Amino acid sequence: MTEIALTELPAFVETASIALQNNGSAAMGPEAAQNMADGYGAAAAGIAVGLAALAAGYAERGIGAAAVGAIAEDDDMFVPGLIMTVLPETLVILALVVVFILG
Amino acid sequence: MSAGASNPEYVNARVRSRRASLFSDEDYRKLIRMGPSEIARFMEETEYEREINELGARFSGVDLIEYALNRNLAKHFEDLIDWADGRLYDLIARYLRKFDVWNLKTIIRGIYTDTAPEDIRTDLIRAGELEERTIDRLLETDDIEDAIEVLYGTIYYEPLTVAYEEFEETGALVPLENALDREFYENLLADVSGGPGDEPQEGPEAKYIEFLQAEIDFRNARNALRLARSGADLDPATYYIDGGVLFDESELSRLVGDYDALVDHIAENRRYGDRLSAALGQLREADSLIQFEHALDAALLEYADTLSSIYPASVSAVLSYILAKEREVENIRAIARGREVGLDENEIEEELVIL
Repeated sequence: MTEIALTELPAFVETASIALQNNGSAAMGPEAAQNMADGYGAAAAGIAVGLAALAAGYAERGIGAAAVGAIAEDDDMFVPGLIMTVLPETLVILALVVVFILG
Repeated sequence: MSAGASNPEYVNARVRSRRASLFSDEDYRKLIRMGPSEIARFMEETEYEREINELGARFSGVDLIEYALNRNLAKHFEDLIDWADGRLYDLIARYLRKFDVWNLKTIIRGIYTDTAPEDIRTDLIRAGELEERTIDRLLETDDIEDAIEVLYGTIYYEPLTVAYEEFEETGALVPLENALDREFYENLLADVSGGPGDEPQEGPEAKYIEFLQAEIDFRNARNALRLARSGADLDPATYYIDGGVLFDESELSRLVGDYDALVDHIAENRRYGDRLSAALGQLREADSLIQFEHALDAALLEYADTLSSIYPASVSAVLSYILAKEREVENIRAIARGREVGLDENEIEEELVIL
């Protein structure tokens, strides 16, 4: 049953696009549909990375403020402060994985 | 009020670092065995280096220590006000107005006794919210009424004007000083809590309010105990500060007459009873009021410390630093004064509040 359904799928897509063409609302061949799917994928990846970067920025805001405070009191805190500040950056790196999965 | 968003992270990082440079128990043990000039030398090697060096040429001995302590305290607290923005500034300044009150009292007393402005100036602790300019103008006046005029626009103007009439009748400074204290304590809780029942229930601000209430309660308890002990015929209502949870006004008036009932009342309180039980026991047996007052101070300090670990990035840590710093200054002063008059080490140790 499933096998039949799978083999019939291209035919279904074709009919569907023909139906769309017949409706006249959007002229889209299978290639165009593929492109569109790719576009959505890229947009989704972009949103994922963007949100992650925004969150990382928000987290760094507090840590950065605290780090600058600590450095102002004691110069030796520069390196630990810097490391702590960029820790949330890992969030963005993990989010970057999404780009490769979707790409 | 300062504009902008609250920045507890920044202030917290700086405050915690400064807290680490406070004197430790070990340092106190060393200090207790030193004379005034040795203490000054010891301080020169710590946090207080700059102040000691600046003032060293003009003062010596205990005076040097005292002025250096005050100046250092003022420097740190001024910094706090400088750093903080927004809501945090509001919460910190509210508490540091304590020093405005102290300064105003000192200035009024100075004017009253015709002290030279320069001498008054050395006694001020410039840690409050009043601007340098206002204080300078206050110092130039030689009449209390003019001084009150200078304060026009600040929160102290109105209560002082009312109290001034009483001052004119009696010629005593007490009404003016009471008016200042009262204004300070009443402003502590203004705007943060919308009155009983409408307080924030949780979060750092609820704890902050709890802390301020404790401060008010302890102040009331202290006054009540002193009144009950001395048997002075004063109306307790004039000293009652509104806003605490331990007493209400009628309770206080009733309890001042009966010392034991007063102690029992404090012991039965759910919020403070446990925390103060040891001190209350001492109070019943030894009736040493000073010990009890130190226990109150220690309880407040410990309380603020607990708060600062419950909500790390909030006003609590700052508050606990303010208290700890004040305590340090008072401890060092007690040691220096104690050594000067020749108290022995045990007696001085009893005067200290160390956690």
